[in-house]
Amino acid sequence: MKRFTLILLSLVMVLALLVTACDKPADPSVDPSESAAEPTDPVPPESKETDPADPEPTEPDATEPAPPSTSRKGGWLDEVVVSVVDQSAVLAQLKADAIDVYVNGFGTNGLAELQESGFDYVTSNGTYYTIQFNPAEFASGEYNPFRNRKIREAFNYLIDRNYINQEYYAGGSLLKWFPIMTNFGDYADLVDVCRRLEAEYAYDFDKAAEIIRGELEKEGYELKDGKFEKDSKPLEVVFLIRNDGDGTRKLWGNYLADQMEKVGFTVKRQEGTGQDLSPVWIYGDPKAGEWHLYTGGWGASVLNRDQSNIFQEMYLNTSAQGIPVFLANESDPEFQDLGDRLYRRDFKTMEERRIMMARALELCLQDSLQVMVVDSKNFVPHVDGVVATTDLAAGVESAQITPFTLRFADKEGGSLRWATQPFLFSGPWNPVQGSNTTCDQGAVNMTETYDFVYDPYTGLVHPQFAEKAELTVLEGLPVQKTLDWVNLEFADRIVVPEDAWADWDAEKQQFITSGEKNKGAEVTANVKSVVTFREDLFDVLKWHDGSNFELADIVMSYIIGFDRPKEASAIFDKQSVKRFENVFMKDFRGIKIVSTDPLVIEGYSDSFYTDAELTAASVGSMWVSHHQGQGSFSQFAMMNAAEAAGELAYTEEKAQEKEVEQTSLIGGPSLEILGKHLDKLIEEGTIPYEPTLSAYITKDKAVERYKALKAYFDAYGNYWQGTGPYFLKSADLNGKSLVMAYFPDFPDAADRWDRFSEPMIADVDIEGPGQVIAGEEAVFDVFVTFDGLPYKNDDINKVKFLVYDAENNVVLIDDAEAVEDGHYAINLTGDDTTKFGDGATKIEVAVVSLVVAQPTFQSIEFITNK
Amino acid sequence: MTTENNNVPLESTTEDNFNVASHSMVKYSRQVSRATAKRLSLFFIRRLVLLLITIVVGVYVTIIVANMGGYVDTILKAQIREEVNMQVAEMSAKSHMSADERRDLTNSMIADREKLAGLDKPFIVRSFTHLKNALTLNFGRARFMISDHGSRMVRNIILERLPATLLLMGTSQLLLFAVSLFFALVISRHYGSFWDKLVVALSPTSSIPPWFYGIFLILIFAAWLKILPFGGMVDAPPPPTKLGYFLSVLKHMILPAFSLFISSFMINVYSWRTFFLIYSSEDYVDMAKAKGLSSRAIERRYILRPTLPNIITSFALMLVGIWTGATLTETVFLWPGLGTTIFEAVSKYDTAVIVGTTIIQAYLLGITVFLLDFLYAIVDPRVKLGGGK
Repeated sequence: MKRFTLILLSLVMVLALLVTACDKPADPSVDPSESAAEPTDPVPPESKETDPADPEPTEPDATEPAPPSTSRKGGWLDEVVVSVVDQSAVLAQLKADAIDVYVNGFGTNGLAELQESGFDYVTSNGTYYTIQFNPAEFASGEYNPFRNRKIREAFNYLIDRNYINQEYYAGGSLLKWFPIMTNFGDYADLVDVCRRLEAEYAYDFDKAAEIIRGELEKEGYELKDGKFEKDSKPLEVVFLIRNDGDGTRKLWGNYLADQMEKVGFTVKRQEGTGQDLSPVWIYGDPKAGEWHLYTGGWGASVLNRDQSNIFQEMYLNTSAQGIPVFLANESDPEFQDLGDRLYRRDFKTMEERRIMMARALELCLQDSLQVMVVDSKNFVPHVDGVVATTDLAAGVESAQITPFTLRFADKEGGSLRWATQPFLFSGPWNPVQGSNTTCDQGAVNMTETYDFVYDPYTGLVHPQFAEKAELTVLEGLPVQKTLDWVNLEFADRIVVPEDAWADWDAEKQQFITSGEKNKGAEVTANVKSVVTFREDLFDVLKWHDGSNFELADIVMSYIIGFDRPKEASAIFDKQSVKRFENVFMKDFRGIKIVSTDPLVIEGYSDSFYTDAELTAASVGSMWVSHHQGQGSFSQFAMMNAAEAAGELAYTEEKAQEKEVEQTSLIGGPSLEILGKHLDKLIEEGTIPYEPTLSAYITKDKAVERYKALKAYFDAYGNYWQGTGPYFLKSADLNGKSLVMAYFPDFPDAADRWDRFSEPMIADVDIEGPGQVIAGEEAVFDVFVTFDGLPYKNDDINKVKFLVYDAENNVVLIDDAEAVEDGHYAINLTGDDTTKFGDGATKIEVAVVSLVVAQPTFQSIEFITNK
Repeated sequence: MTTENNNVPLESTTEDNFNVASHSMVKYSRQVSRATAKRLSLFFIRRLVLLLITIVVGVYVTIIVANMGGYVDTILKAQIREEVNMQVAEMSAKSHMSADERRDLTNSMIADREKLAGLDKPFIVRSFTHLKNALTLNFGRARFMISDHGSRMVRNIILERLPATLLLMGTSQLLLFAVSLFFALVISRHYGSFWDKLVVALSPTSSIPPWFYGIFLILIFAAWLKILPFGGMVDAPPPPTKLGYFLSVLKHMILPAFSLFISSFMINVYSWRTFFLIYSSEDYVDMAKAKGLSSRAIERRYILRPTLPNIITSFALMLVGIWTGATLTETVFLWPGLGTTIFEAVSKYDTAVIVGTTIIQAYLLGITVFLLDFLYAIVDPRVKLGGGK
């Protein structure tokens, strides 16, 4: 063999491999994106917000600089290129101008590095951390100190939350004492109670040690050489410490273990990942005594406005968590009863609820099955000039509003490079039960529209393609309204009409009316919601394949929810039965299409939220949104046909059971199968659920819709579509990237939701004297601003103040008085200042906004002299 | 290959004698052929059986290890409980379900999920089902992982990632093999030269893993010079033309391939160079030199030829190795290959995928070892299959 033969052979093989492995990229025969990038459909410039039915209080005004008007419709960008990036390389990629925004964000542990980099970032909630105790009585008879509520409660004094925040979270987290989120509405509403209790349960190592020592001495333990012992046996506790995730649990877990050892516990630290430790603390029997404490972590990805169920969920043995360790807790009867009542919403008025919540906050600290540590944060970095809206809970990636507000500040259009974690395409994409990871959902959101869209800062909803609602609630139910698009009334009795759809007959493929279902017996409901949609809904809204949005789409989507759980259905999926029967049908009473022009829908239910807006939107509306994205009439017809033929399944569970692939509209083996069924639908002119849907669509129209979907597939290589401001132009599944392109037919002005570009979190300044004489009057001025301009008083719910004496006891709680926009006064009487005692005094002000759930705190210190 | 036809006497010249001799020769030849065939058959069978047993044992051990002796069942049950609890909590958040109703719903959903995952059967029973499926290449469905195209079939998950891995590993390893062999030969002829000493001095640099080189290369060429991408396999979005796509892949492959290449280059050259040096000092090489043969002829006939079995073995095993990918390097470069898939499977305890990749590797290795026996016999006359004489 010649000398270079081997090298030559190798090179040939390399080239052969290279050529073989280079997959042919999608090469759509039609690429309308060229026209899409620069909308060819000129539209007249529109005013910022033309919807008179949406007069919510954050309308642009003097406090908010008016954005420039635009004639652009739909999304602000020409395209969004989604790709993946490893978090360790994010800052380097931002610096190298390789990406524009990293939507997944950094945890609080990465804040220092992020701040050092100098990039702008937006903030949302991260994980919240707790110390989870095992309260069980051990089967071995061994003493478990954490059965004792007083010892658990003492851990509130044992941990210095501020130290944890500063040391391990770069000061970027919120200190946490309660299960309610520190930046959600309930905390803001109960801010005076919360701050008082926080002062009461502030770090006090000596107090913690004293309580614990006292309780353990009752059990016969003695402190010998700094360790608790009984019969010469040390009091050993097993502490499960998570060492995965962002790594902070390991840090503060060990800090806590050190503190415990200082008190006298002998701590056996067992570090491990979630997968290592969950079999012990979640699956294991708490009575087996394998562990005593665990570094818990929980998430709140929805801006929940009503957390009245949280006490039961996080402390009581009736918890929906259903984890054995919760079931083992024996709470104080008062707390048990209160938590259960709050879960059931067993209160008549919001004031009664407030009193119950306030008491529950006290009792949860006394119970302390979990001791709360911090609410950590998430930070989404971006290059200069990118405007990204962050939902306070869901962040940028998962916020419904993001696709409507994401833009470059200085221009319309442009291509934005959106980077996320490498978990893109972590599941098939289908609207019923496709991938729900935030990486996938971020892109999916860009293709969606809503009847009502979530407010990223308050958790309320605003109409997008709905317009208004009339909500009737049974007298005595605690429902209140905030925004003007809903009209709230109370009634003694709400009767469901006999012709309302109440169930579905899968064999006849028809809805069962309330009258038929209940054989003429009168049916009542807790709430009735009548939602009126925009008059131009069916004229202006279009699917990405160019088809008009039709009532048939809405009804088809609604049928899917009813048909899949029915055994007689061709697409029956037993996985959907429990949710349907045990949850949905338990409260659902009926729904009726009252009018089609404009579309008016009337819904009846026993389920309600304490907010009228959320109740109206959930009870009286029908839309085309599903678990993962929207589904059109033609898409569902095609997917149903494939599932009915036993070739695909919407859910993974059914796919596994039937040994078929799960439906994916963007790639894999599904595409060929779906294509085959789509061709068949075109050929046969099928109207699925014909006994019902033939009232809403003709055969010719159905075929037209199928053909439009087919043409869309031919152009873009996927069947994914929605009605949102961007459409899925291409997806490189192996390369983990996709291009979301501007959809020129989107009807709304691009600046419609601009008011949500930035949360109006108030800036607060307090001015006042440095010295106050006890018994004399004093005045402190509170200035509330946003972006340097006065905060409108109509947008402020309340300005509370708390006065702390020299020993950090709360001696006074009251409301500040409004003077003018952005200006409040704290008027202290002589009686008030007498309570302050001698020495350093602090006034803390809490500003609770109506337009952002997150309250702002500010404090001022002064000297009180007698 | 065994050749045993040289021992027949050919002394008779008469026709009878010739016929007898011829007849005897044919008979003997047939006997020899039959004996050879029998010996070879026995050898094949023995080798196949041994290899099969090795594969069965290897795969079963993998199944046991990947499932942590059945403890993964406990982990999975805990995960199912956690997921169902979250689901029920979300489902019942705004409903009027009582605590008991919720508990019943939770327990029934957990039971359904455990049954679907096969967790209602003992692990030991399932382990043999896994083994049977694995050996028959029925990989089944992954527990958690999913292919980029949305398929749960382990076969699709592996096949989807294979081209990227073959491309990266094939390129880097073939280049590495060929270039290091070439340099080793050259250097072995210049023992003690500057280059030889340099290779010896730099060979410890191969203790640095490729992903570490990768990070440095990313910092230099992507973050600092901005001339090469940080990672991935192709630009986002991919170029629309074939040529553009090809060039984009090439551009993305430079850093990971170079990382893999550079991390092993010095030690490979050093190893081969030492290997060649040992063969260069054999007596028969000295004899050839004494006979005045040219250095090229000596290299080809007296050094390369006897080392050929080792080179072939190394090459064949390298070919098998490229199927597994480079886990950490692929992760650092976000290269969508099998290495990251295996890594993910291990971290998620997705035993179906772990076993799927293992069985492929086991079969490939088994086949390679089997074929190497024949290749040795072809390239080296000293080797006789089945111990024939």
